[in-house]
Amino acid sequence: MKVLSQVISYSLPVLYLGVIYVYYLIFTEKNKSLVNKTTPILLFLVICHLIEIVTRNIAIGSVPLSTTHDAYAFIAFSVLVVYMISELRLDNRGAGLFILPFALVLELLSAFYMSWEPETSELLANKTFILHASMSITGYTALSVAAIYSLMYIIQNNNLKKRKLGRLFSQLPALTYMEKMNRRSILTGIILLGIGIMLGHYQMMINGEYMAKDIKVIITDVVWILYIIMYLLAIKNKWSGEKVAYMSLYCFLLIVVGGIVIYFSPSFHKFN
Amino acid sequence: MSDHIPLGLIGISHKTAPVELREKVALSEEEQKEAVRQIMDQFSPNGCLILSTCNRTEIYLSDNHLGESLEKIRRWLNAFKKCSEYTDTDITYELHDNAAAEHFFKVLAGIDSQIIGEQQIAGQVKESYDLAHALNSTDALINKLFNFAMQAKKRVHHETFLSDGTVSISFAGVELARKIFNDLSSKHVLLIGAGKTAELAAFHFQENGVKSINVVNRTFERAQELAEKFGGKAFRMEQLKEALSESDIVISATSSTEYIVTSELLKPVAKKRSHRPVFFIDLAIPRDIDPAINSINSVFLYNLDDLQEIVKLNLEKRKKEIPKSMKIIQESVDEFLKWARMNSMVTVVGRLKHKLDVLRVNELERLKAKLPQNGYKAEIENLTESIINKVVRQHVKSLKKVAHDPEQYSKQIEMIRNIYDLDNDN
Repeated sequence: MKVLSQVISYSLPVLYLGVIYVYYLIFTEKNKSLVNKTTPILLFLVICHLIEIVTRNIAIGSVPLSTTHDAYAFIAFSVLVVYMISELRLDNRGAGLFILPFALVLELLSAFYMSWEPETSELLANKTFILHASMSITGYTALSVAAIYSLMYIIQNNNLKKRKLGRLFSQLPALTYMEKMNRRSILTGIILLGIGIMLGHYQMMINGEYMAKDIKVIITDVVWILYIIMYLLAIKNKWSGEKVAYMSLYCFLLIVVGGIVIYFSPSFHKFN
Repeated sequence: MSDHIPLGLIGISHKTAPVELREKVALSEEEQKEAVRQIMDQFSPNGCLILSTCNRTEIYLSDNHLGESLEKIRRWLNAFKKCSEYTDTDITYELHDNAAAEHFFKVLAGIDSQIIGEQQIAGQVKESYDLAHALNSTDALINKLFNFAMQAKKRVHHETFLSDGTVSISFAGVELARKIFNDLSSKHVLLIGAGKTAELAAFHFQENGVKSINVVNRTFERAQELAEKFGGKAFRMEQLKEALSESDIVISATSSTEYIVTSELLKPVAKKRSHRPVFFIDLAIPRDIDPAINSINSVFLYNLDDLQEIVKLNLEKRKKEIPKSMKIIQESVDEFLKWARMNSMVTVVGRLKHKLDVLRVNELERLKAKLPQNGYKAEIENLTESIINKVVRQHVKSLKKVAHDPEQYSKQIEMIRNIYDLDNDN
């Protein structure tokens, strides 16, 4: 089981790269016949990644998301699944070249943190904490997807305004679709991250302190509150799709900066 | 490399003749039926197919004496259409063998069309084929030619971008709208002006399932008339602001010399619409819409030049796809020629066997009288049959030997035909 898991783990970044190459060929209009083959290709990648997650957790006897490798791999997997669903719904492959490289970066990060030693932290024995971690990671994934849709929205809006009707224009989806996906992803992210945060604080409350002076906790709470404020302001002031897209990108930038700060700071719930 | 297949065509198209001459030689559906019937009756080819559209009239013939038959048919068509163009070699073209097959493939795929990659021609070819088929004028060669060409056309469509992107200005607006709105079925269109240009553009949006088409016009009665046609509402010019706030797509084509839609007018409208996107198409010259509105958030303005640019870009993109499409066509033509070679072998061998068999039976009949009663009749029959089979098999063997070389293969087929006089055999 461990050998199978290891083989798939090391092959996954290559497989992601292969799939991105397929999307590159479609995007650059070099091979039209590939357009109808993306669904089985994506499905194959999803299945491979799912097998990796399952076999790895059986092999090292740990719970999902317990290590940095598992967390990044899970986000990459979530991004892949979200993209596959949106492609099936919209029948547009233009976004693939934007979203899938993000999944590849996560997959590469996951490979970088590859470890075959199970995480022994006591926190991971706690089911509430595992749920808290899963919800938070999925929430961050949704916010990342929102940022990608925002970026695509800004590019397409610019193309339409400046009449740049080239390849990028023809491959990207419709503006209103990207706006809808952006808003939906933000809302999903706020809800999931919110549940994750609540569960985290609840667990801490049980442990005797409601608010830990931990940089990871503080940054996550601040990001979440900023997203809520932005979302409510967008509804109240009826912001245009463009404004929401820019705000979503700025907030995501905060996530990235926050992530860097967390990486270099001590935290009581850091894992392998 | 040239392949001999009994296929030829005479034609006149947008590449060789102007519209005045093309319309003179064009054949209506009734004329096509009559022409096919008469050609089959008078010239007895193996098969005949006539394709007549606004851009071309082509007569495809499957016949063993192509040169001679096509010449006769040219003269006959002149008489049939009471014209002289069919024998004018400056404006007509004549293709034989694999060149004729390749031309048919190119026509069906839209490579030979005036607007490269257009899809309408495939439907027109199919109609012509169905008509010929119904009149029993298609032989195995024409049937296969059509099937192979249809498959090639599908491959070209699936594997290249030859037919992608609109090349019609009035449809370019719809294509752009699809890049702004994911779903047109919930969108409201407003026509400013009730002339033919606005009506045609609106018609494309109606075909693409927009929710409503409303009209605003200086002459309210005309607005009502057009709105009724599209099942929408009519507005007076004074109600323009109100009409704009309800619309997602605005098509303007009036003869006004001043801007009808300005930034000042639109800014409050955009705010009222909560900055939901609005797509303006200005088809008027001089323009109806102030270009400054394009700077308002979620407002997109395109004029006639912009739409023309889209069409130009799409046409360029299609042209770039021709080499890729031709590669597919060539592969398919080769497949067809391979089939045609096999088919000619089967036909020639069949005829040869039949001819030798007739010879054998006749000789046996003559011999019968000289043989004693209860003589060696059965043995002689078996012997002669076996000799014929061996001779035929020898020919098949030598044909198969040169099957990889189309030129040699055609020569050998021709040689067998001539030696045994197979074409004049009944």
